[in-house]
Amino acid sequence: MSALAWLLPATPGVAGALLALAGRRADRVAAAGAVAVTAVTLALAALAAAVRPMWGTTLVAVAAPPGGTPAGIAVDGLSAVMAVTVAAIALAVLVFAAGDLPSGAARGRFFGLMLLFTGAMLLTVTAADLMLLLTGWEIMGAASYALIGFWWREHGRVRSAGLAFVTTRAGDLGLYVAAGCAFAATGTLELAGIAQAGQPWRDLAAAGIVLAALGKSAQLPFSYWLSGAMAGPSAVSALLHSATMVAAGAYLLLRVQPLLAATGWAAVAVAWAGAVTALLLGAVALAQRDLKQLLAASTCAQVGFMVLAAGAGAVAGGTAHLVAHAAVKSLLFLCAGVWLTALGTEALAGLRGAGRWRRSVGVAFAVGALALAGVPPLSLWVTKDAVLAGVPSPGLYAVALAAALLAAAYAARALAAVWRPGTFPTAAGERRVPRAVTGPLLALAPLAAGLSVLGLPAVYAGWRQLVGAGGEPGPEVAGLVVTGLAASAVTAAGWAIGVRARQGTAWRRRAAELGQGRLAVGLRGWLGLRQGAIGGVWEPVKALAGALARFDDRVLERTGEWLADGVTAAAGVAGRRAEGLLDGVVRGAAGALGGAAWLGRGRVERPLEHLVRAVAAGAGALGRAARRPQAGQAHLYLAQAAAAFLLLAVVLMLVR
Amino acid sequence: MNDDPAALLPELLLLAGAVAGLLTGMFVPRGRQRAVAWICAAALAAALAVTVTATGGAAFGSYAPDALTQAARAVVAGGTLLVIALVAAEARGHRREAEAYVLVMLAALGSVLLAGAGDLLVLVPAYLLASIPAYALAGFGKDAPGTEAALKYYLMGAFLGVLMLAGVTLLYGLAGATGYRAAGAALALAPGAAAACAVVLLLAGLLFKAGGVPAHFWVPDVAEGAPVAVAAFVTTVPKIGALAALLRVADELGPGGWDVIVAIVAAATMTLGNLAAFHQDDVRRLLAYSTISQAGYVLVPVAVAQHTALARPAVLFYLAAYAVTNVGAFAVVAATGRGTLDGYRGLGRAAPGLGLALVVCLLGFAGIPPAAVFVAKVLVFAAAWDGGYAWLAVLVLVNTVASLYYYLRWVAVVFRGDPPAAPPPGLARAVACVAAVASLALGVGGGVLLGRAA
Repeated sequence: MSALAWLLPATPGVAGALLALAGRRADRVAAAGAVAVTAVTLALAALAAAVRPMWGTTLVAVAAPPGGTPAGIAVDGLSAVMAVTVAAIALAVLVFAAGDLPSGAARGRFFGLMLLFTGAMLLTVTAADLMLLLTGWEIMGAASYALIGFWWREHGRVRSAGLAFVTTRAGDLGLYVAAGCAFAATGTLELAGIAQAGQPWRDLAAAGIVLAALGKSAQLPFSYWLSGAMAGPSAVSALLHSATMVAAGAYLLLRVQPLLAATGWAAVAVAWAGAVTALLLGAVALAQRDLKQLLAASTCAQVGFMVLAAGAGAVAGGTAHLVAHAAVKSLLFLCAGVWLTALGTEALAGLRGAGRWRRSVGVAFAVGALALAGVPPLSLWVTKDAVLAGVPSPGLYAVALAAALLAAAYAARALAAVWRPGTFPTAAGERRVPRAVTGPLLALAPLAAGLSVLGLPAVYAGWRQLVGAGGEPGPEVAGLVVTGLAASAVTAAGWAIGVRARQGTAWRRRAAELGQGRLAVGLRGWLGLRQGAIGGVWEPVKALAGALARFDDRVLERTGEWLADGVTAAAGVAGRRAEGLLDGVVRGAAGALGGAAWLGRGRVERPLEHLVRAVAAGAGALGRAARRPQAGQAHLYLAQAAAAFLLLAVVLMLVR
Repeated sequence: MNDDPAALLPELLLLAGAVAGLLTGMFVPRGRQRAVAWICAAALAAALAVTVTATGGAAFGSYAPDALTQAARAVVAGGTLLVIALVAAEARGHRREAEAYVLVMLAALGSVLLAGAGDLLVLVPAYLLASIPAYALAGFGKDAPGTEAALKYYLMGAFLGVLMLAGVTLLYGLAGATGYRAAGAALALAPGAAAACAVVLLLAGLLFKAGGVPAHFWVPDVAEGAPVAVAAFVTTVPKIGALAALLRVADELGPGGWDVIVAIVAAATMTLGNLAAFHQDDVRRLLAYSTISQAGYVLVPVAVAQHTALARPAVLFYLAAYAVTNVGAFAVVAATGRGTLDGYRGLGRAAPGLGLALVVCLLGFAGIPPAAVFVAKVLVFAAAWDGGYAWLAVLVLVNTVASLYYYLRWVAVVFRGDPPAAPPPGLARAVACVAAVASLALGVGGGVLLGRAA
């Protein structure tokens, strides 16, 4: 069954690479082919979940340790859950994209990259060692860059893609550090072995993994790249924000939870990072005026709950939240994509009445938004509580609870914005939205609603066993009641303000005033994180580099000259005033200093430059010399060969 | 002795392909001689398939179908398959098209026999079989440069072949046996000076086939003068057999002092090849010097073969990696039909696939991962280090860095300047792309392959 293990990521990966390489020639068959391949992948994932295949190989056979470094793919419970989720969401998204992508678009490239991206995510979640995990991780990063910048003719989009890429890459360096530390400590790259590594390698590896995961998952302080990632087509957002990319960081943290727990500090740090992200980005989401931006911020916030779960040791809860959120968020993004295609806007104000335009889409969106709000009995209500049940400290719990209420608030805001009565304007350039694109919505909506069955005690026990989290607490009745009631209340209030209240009432005015406030503006700008990163990291680095270059040009090069001039002048002065012995000493010292200064002036650069030139010239001369025996005359060849072999024979006689 | 002809099936298939091709070529009209290419390709594919699926056959006294031979068979068959496609692209409609395929097949057979020979009396005919068709191929075009190249190639080969024959005679006289192992055992007791002369004379012939210094003079002239497909063939396939034969001589004949002289030859070969490639503007001469330096790298594990078990996988993997990379690079030259470095200006934009294949091959030669030669170079380095020849390992490293200069010089040209008219797509372009992909696949799958070989 080992073939199944590598076929699972390889099938979409290879098909995607071929499609992407074929480019425009494959445009006509790309959509159908990609959907078919993804369906096969889903079947493979389901099969893999049933039989749990493993596949191992050896990397770099001659390297230490003897026999090479083991590497491989292993599908355990957690991987099985992830693989099925990824494949299912990818299938829904690709079916949607097949109908939604403009007919003139480069379909071969788009679907190829989407498949490649999916394959990379599958490799990431099934890898048993850091080498393969890194491979998948990097391919995913590169593919996301190409997908976000898919409409590359528009400059801003490529810039956003670049920002996303550079930010996640900066975090990814942590994974390389982790791999190096793991290898140094244990001699292998196996994920399972890192928790047993010796100090300080274990802590360094944990720090590297946490950094990489927070970057990929767009947790604070890296959250800003996700805002820019909205520049891609809607289907890309739907895939990027649900089961892949941002989920990869959360998955990695859930996977290495034993390592986090072993270090102690890493678990606490991760838990707080997740909780604070859930709270702050929840506030950011509430302040947005653009539906996709709202959903993007809410992704950060919801992934924050998963990260919190990894830190708090609630692996089962975190995984359940990941799966349920994947269904919910892909559903919401696809709905937003339908409206974007139909109307050409994502502004909340412009979507007034959108929910009533095509009822199936509106209802699907409502299901997703209510689930996102945590309203009973929908999925995220249960899974969020499964996370909260594992949170140990009261402070952390309070932050997470507040974040849960904020989630209800922003979800209600989105829901109210599209269901507010109004006539859905029919733009002149409206493109017909094919009926087919609503198919995936109708498939995802029941999932978004119904995954709450995970919370039933019997089901949850099985789930815990599946993901290998034995004694974790499940969702508790008291917590469920409290959060359910609170979320419902907040959602109802939001609905009342947004939809029911008439224009001009006190509540509406108050809400509008809040929206103009400085706080809201700050939140709308994603806490200024992007500017912070550009101003706080990028610009200083650039400025420092420029300053160093100038310093090198102006100061280092001239210091030597000044020094020499100064010493010579001083020697001259001293020489005029002193006589006899003193004169000689001073002159000698001046000469020595002058020599030293001359050496110093040219110490670093000039000899190096001369050396480089000399090497180049020498190599060129040697090259000409090497071609000299190639005289072109056969008798010379034979004579030279005979002489050389004679020489060799003499050498051999001497060494024998 | 356990004579089982089935163990020689790959060789017999090559021979059958050549004979069938020759007979077919005699009777079909000129326009349809392409059929011969198909016959030869089928024979090669069958030989490759038989080799890959074989589990190891019976040993003959004078011919050893062991792992080394198996690897040489596979690489020769695979490389020749690519070359046949190149020849088909270049010789299409030629008056003697069928002869070209047949000569290629016979030389390939000679190359396999070189690798498998376990007896000096098998080695000599194998040498002749690998050489004589190649002389004819070099002059196939019947033009002035081709004729000159063929003549130089022939004179060099004849001279060094005579030296080798003298060496074989001397060895037989000293040892009283012609089998490698028997001769090796007896040679240890023979007078030093005479034995040294015999070994060096034997080396002369094998180095000629391998294109190593000081028997390398034919390489640039033939690469420049002969048709491109032939240049690709003679700088690739006979080398495989010769280097495998050298490895077998090191293992089984094992003359004293072997490591020292082969290390000297390896050092001289890689350094001289690299230096001569500097500032070379003729791409075929550049590739020729590059093949000389690559032969030098392969000679490194041959030198230390008596001291480390890493030598054998290093040589075999390097040969496979080298074969695909070299054929790929020559295929690009065949596809573009341009002889100077300047002709490649803007190729990356005019024909992205071809440009990419060229870049993969060149960076592969330079030992940049994930191309196959990178893995091979790591193995060579490890073998040299493990075999106690640290200075040779360092020299490999220095030479690799130096070689970046001329490879990158070509790569840079590909991506610069205005694109000329794109060369028409054809078989040669397909070969280039297949070779580039194979190079990457070998590089990535290298670990797996070595795990099986070890």
